[in-house]
Amino acid sequence: MEAILNIFRKKPTENFMMHGKEQKETEKISIELKKHIDTIFGRSLAIREVDSGSDNSTEIELVNLTTPHYDIERFGISFVASPRHADAMIVTGAVTHNMEFALRKAYDAMPAPKLVIAVGNDACNGGIFREGYAVNNGVEEILPVDMKIPGNPPTPKEILLGLLALMKKIRHEREKGK
Amino acid sequence: MNAFTHKLEEIFGNKVTVLEMSGGCNNEVFIRVKEDDVEKAASMLSKADFVLIAMFCEEGFQNKGKFSIFYVFEKKSYNKILVLVRDISSNNISSVTGIFPAAFWYEREIMDGFGINFNGNPDKRRLFLHEWYQNEFHPLLKSFKNRKIENIGPRKIEFKKEMEENTGNDYEFKEMKGDGVYQIPVGPIHAGIIEPGHFRFSVIGEVIYNLEIRMFYKHRGIEKFAEEKKAEDAIAIAESISGDESVANSTAFCTAVEKIYMADVPKRALHLRTILLELERIYSHLGDLAGMIIDVGFPAGASQFFILREEILRMNNKLTGSRFMKNILTIGGLKKEVKNDALIRANHYFNKFLGEFHKAVKVVHTTASVIDRLETTGIIRKDLIKCLNITGPAARGSGAAIDTRIDHPYGIYGKIMQAPKIRYAGDVLSRFEVKTEETIESVKMIQNLINTVPEGNVNAEYTPKDGFGLCILEAPRGQSIHWVDIKDGKIYRYKIRTASFCNWQAIEHAVLGNIVPDFPLINKSLNLSYAGTDL
Repeated sequence: MEAILNIFRKKPTENFMMHGKEQKETEKISIELKKHIDTIFGRSLAIREVDSGSDNSTEIELVNLTTPHYDIERFGISFVASPRHADAMIVTGAVTHNMEFALRKAYDAMPAPKLVIAVGNDACNGGIFREGYAVNNGVEEILPVDMKIPGNPPTPKEILLGLLALMKKIRHEREKGK
Repeated sequence: MNAFTHKLEEIFGNKVTVLEMSGGCNNEVFIRVKEDDVEKAASMLSKADFVLIAMFCEEGFQNKGKFSIFYVFEKKSYNKILVLVRDISSNNISSVTGIFPAAFWYEREIMDGFGINFNGNPDKRRLFLHEWYQNEFHPLLKSFKNRKIENIGPRKIEFKKEMEENTGNDYEFKEMKGDGVYQIPVGPIHAGIIEPGHFRFSVIGEVIYNLEIRMFYKHRGIEKFAEEKKAEDAIAIAESISGDESVANSTAFCTAVEKIYMADVPKRALHLRTILLELERIYSHLGDLAGMIIDVGFPAGASQFFILREEILRMNNKLTGSRFMKNILTIGGLKKEVKNDALIRANHYFNKFLGEFHKAVKVVHTTASVIDRLETTGIIRKDLIKCLNITGPAARGSGAAIDTRIDHPYGIYGKIMQAPKIRYAGDVLSRFEVKTEETIESVKMIQNLINTVPEGNVNAEYTPKDGFGLCILEAPRGQSIHWVDIKDGKIYRYKIRTASFCNWQAIEHAVLGNIVPDFPLINKSLNLSYAGTDL
């Protein structure tokens, strides 16, 4: 009986307030992002995330992108489990020496053409850990980086804007190439 | 102090002579014993129910070029923290792992950092320096100045075989042998958006018989980074220890420094700090609750917790200008004022929050398939708690009434904390329930604090001083310890021991007898920070 009633009940998530200025803004960015993904990637962008030594706040923000407020899977972006399924790799952290090998292996496993996105201040240039004994000065020293999204950590909105900028950059390069 | 002297006499009798005893600036007692007596003293403290909560080394603590090892002990019902200082004269010293199993990782950590050998520690493998580093490299020695090291890592070495030839010290995992036993290596990169770490399971069928974890892939050299810096400049480093514990870690660091400086933090700042600390606990716990439910494959139930967490993160932003409340704390108080009307709005929001939270928890409790997965999974036995110094919700889920906020009150916690929330079964469900109750408690605490927050300054003047101090506090994951030694106005040594460092070792025990698919669930229920462990 309980189960049948569930069909008619309000879904638990419907109880929450999900509007407001902030919500509209991210929605707008996401829709624009989707248009670009549709043309460049044929509707879906698969991202593999590798943490190479961030504090964990960047990971929390990336997970947040998949939660109800942002839910970027609606716009064609999914975080995939294997680098072999990925079009792009998001790297966080300044790349510690202990993680370097694993990061390179993951990158090598990705099929070309591949994109690398550095997220967070430390991934962009080492951040406060620059010139330390245990880290590299950002992802750039190890892999070719296509887009940097700075922030400590960048907010989900900033990450979306960064992805949007990357899409625009790719399209721009393509048009120039033609 | 006198009472403590008495107590020590009772413990040590006439078998161990205490050479020196002095009080610290933050309720700690430093004692020195004769070097040969250290082991004896440790075993007596162990018999008297003291728990080894931290162990670290410092070069040149009082004599230049000499090493001192600090053993930090805590005992339930004692408000003081006992620090046993061991000045060592050689690089080969005896281990206390036989007496305190918690010392395993600490001793390996000291071995890597300072090159000190512990005779009697059966595990001689390196801990935070992986095979890429040279054998004689010990970054925490004062003779090494922090700088970028060239020619390290696999940049030119493409394959593992060549790597082995180049460094010659590949990490050996403990192997379990026998019919039908096979190994599952997992990591360092995992399937989801998680931090890196390696897990080596020995399984028969699906049941885990042994688990060995290898961490420190994220070792960034935080402790070395803080050295030679002014205390104000090191707050950003404390905030980066673990992103979702930034307030806890920076509060601990600031408190330690404030005690050294003898700065008087204004009441309003203490109040506001407590509000921020509890906010952090709420969003951290919400993330865990969601994670546990995701890991049993019930995203609909989890998404409600995720929604609440996002709302709290947005509120953090409104209160402090950062979703993770970074860059708000400073020595002597807060960097900027938190506005009263923002606090009042937060108070209103929390009324709504509680209703939604109760609904979300009810969804989980009334879904039989979820409870079935959570119950009897990943049990942490109560007798492990003292051996491994497990703290936080992980310990409280196993029936231990440990909470630093109550045992060693700091800030204004002495006035506002009541009994800790406890469950006895020690399984994932217990930890789930402890975390839900703590979330509700934190919300109520914040609401009370907002109603009673005093007016006034949020920032105190202070005069920098040299000295050393210890601060222990209850982060969302458990007890954190920060040791700060300031010499010539600069940080000489900064040692951090987060709760995750100890709690990680609990997981090796908690998973035994469980099936491999339950591992992510157990891992999530303990909510361990990789960044906070690896430093």
